[in-house]
Amino acid sequence: MKFEVHLDSVTGRTRHVVDLEKDGASYKVSLDGQPMDADVILAAPNAVSVLMNGTAFEIHIAPSLDGTYKLQTGPHEFQADVRDPRAWRGGKQGGLEAEGRQQIVAPMPGKVIRLLVNAGDEVEAGQGLVVVEAMKMQNEIRSPKKGRVQRLQAKEGQAVNAGDVLAWVE
Amino acid sequence: MFRKILIANRGEIAVRILRACREMGIPSVCVFSEVDRTALHVRLADEAYLIGPAPSRESYLRIDKLIDVARRSGCDAIHPGYGFLAENPELPRVCTDAGITFIGPPPETMELMGSKTAGKQLARRADVPTVPGTDEAIENAADAQSLARTMGYPVVLKAVAGGGGKGMRVVNEDEAFASAWRDASSEALNAFGDARVFLEKYLDSPRHIEIQIFADSHGRVVSLGERECSVQRRHQKVIEEAPSTVVTPDLRRKMGEAAVRLARAGGYINAGTVEFLVDASLNFYFLEVNTRLQVEHPVTEQVTGLDLVKLQIAIAAGHRLPFAWETITPRGHAMEVRLYAEDPDNNFFPCPGKILARRIATGPGIRLDEGVYRGWVVPIEYDPLLSKLIAWGNSREETIARLRRALDEYTITGIRTNVSLFRRILAEPEFLRGEIHTRWLDELLARPRPPAIPSRPGTEAAAAIAAAYWESIQPGNPSRDGQANVGATSRWKQEGRRSQVDHQP
Repeated sequence: MKFEVHLDSVTGRTRHVVDLEKDGASYKVSLDGQPMDADVILAAPNAVSVLMNGTAFEIHIAPSLDGTYKLQTGPHEFQADVRDPRAWRGGKQGGLEAEGRQQIVAPMPGKVIRLLVNAGDEVEAGQGLVVVEAMKMQNEIRSPKKGRVQRLQAKEGQAVNAGDVLAWVE
Repeated sequence: MFRKILIANRGEIAVRILRACREMGIPSVCVFSEVDRTALHVRLADEAYLIGPAPSRESYLRIDKLIDVARRSGCDAIHPGYGFLAENPELPRVCTDAGITFIGPPPETMELMGSKTAGKQLARRADVPTVPGTDEAIENAADAQSLARTMGYPVVLKAVAGGGGKGMRVVNEDEAFASAWRDASSEALNAFGDARVFLEKYLDSPRHIEIQIFADSHGRVVSLGERECSVQRRHQKVIEEAPSTVVTPDLRRKMGEAAVRLARAGGYINAGTVEFLVDASLNFYFLEVNTRLQVEHPVTEQVTGLDLVKLQIAIAAGHRLPFAWETITPRGHAMEVRLYAEDPDNNFFPCPGKILARRIATGPGIRLDEGVYRGWVVPIEYDPLLSKLIAWGNSREETIARLRRALDEYTITGIRTNVSLFRRILAEPEFLRGEIHTRWLDELLARPRPPAIPSRPGTEAAAAIAAAYWESIQPGNPSRDGQANVGATSRWKQEGRRSQVDHQP
């Protein structure tokens, strides 16, 4: 079975095709058309062990809300977008904002404790918009750009979840 | 000895105290808020009682409820841990009235020494050097600002009731004073229920070095040596070690004597920490007293071989400190890192959520004090401290090597942690040389990131293979089930993902 894997890391984005063919209890693995001497197994919950020509890797995997996977091995991290050509996958969030208009979202669950601007205000890049308190720490959410606060969704005292829209800056 | 001890805390410190009680053969009682029903301290408890909803003001800070649980469960002592009520003199006062022993200093001592301003006045009387500044809370912003101008910037605003960097703001220029005042007061009010702040001169590049003291109720006071906690992010300690690289036996003796003098002057009993700032010429200035067990106490435990929690309990029960401890010296080196559920790549925002998997660090010279486990959902309501990873060895070099090794072993999957911060610090030549001060880490983080650590050949290939394999074993994948009902597949997969990323219980 073939999978198309897009990997994002600090060094950039790469694309690979992985072919996994069941061979008894294990798999025959090929990468980008090259047969690999690789043994792959689920070693523990969310932990995949890969032995490649004897070199050992343990990859820790967690799903993200957007359907991609977060991979971690030692100090290295990857974001993997796996496409299975045979399976239909709908509802994937492409999610790019309209040019210039920035959506300000809560980076973690918490409580809005203070609004620092009003709808319609002109703001500078880096200027605080909203203060969100989580785990006893107050965190200022700043504007990513110079512009105008188009809409202020957040209300003082409101509980927010990670990803909730607080404001739009245009 | 006590019949039964109530542990008035949660998280790793509740687990730490519970373990000490168990080793001493003393039954203990845990308390929990509604969101902590499945917390590790409750799972490990002999007895556990619900004390209210998630907000700490309605649960862990409710003295009446704690006393009620203590009475009903037959406890004759309360250990407050750190944070929450640990430095609130009201708790020991109410305990005394209820005939329960508070494991900590007497309320009068707590008031005298725990308040940053009263502590400073006491230090002056005990001939312990102090940082220039006000001894008392300042009533209004205007007075404070004119004082700051006289003193000269930079100055620091601190909460009178404070600790842990909360309600604290450094002001570098006059223009920033008003907003810093407002932030410090409101944060202080939120964190401690007391908005009062005071003002101090901000020393340039000092080290934070603290002395662990112990005092029994028979008049003996000892110093158990220093801990250096100079690596701080926005005034929050992130790495602590003992001994300090700059403390000579002579300086250790001088600082120890100053701390003991202060403790005697305040009538101190039980465990306490006297914090000092140390300048480049190794002059030390009294900063504050923490009238409780510190988060970083394991560092002292590893270099002295003592169990500070058991010692606290024994002293509260009226036992004496042995003579021999008056000359205790550290052996080897110990270092602690505080692993938090926060994202270093996103301004250290808290990242609560579900711990999907965990691989712990063990082996020679490694200790893990924590209150987490696989499958637990880290709640948003409390401090995001997950684990304290402590390493010790014969030398600082060996200790650092062990800590690095352990950080590679320890993985938490499902939530973000600040582990990459420690990898970076433990690779910094300045840190390795011990050239650190309280602003060192903030300055380091303001510098450009070092180039990514080069990966072993094959890492990316292994990651691609692992990702494909992981996809293939997800419930409903045709390669696993041998069926190609794609509509159902997709819903199964979505449900599988949803249950793994669900952030709320």
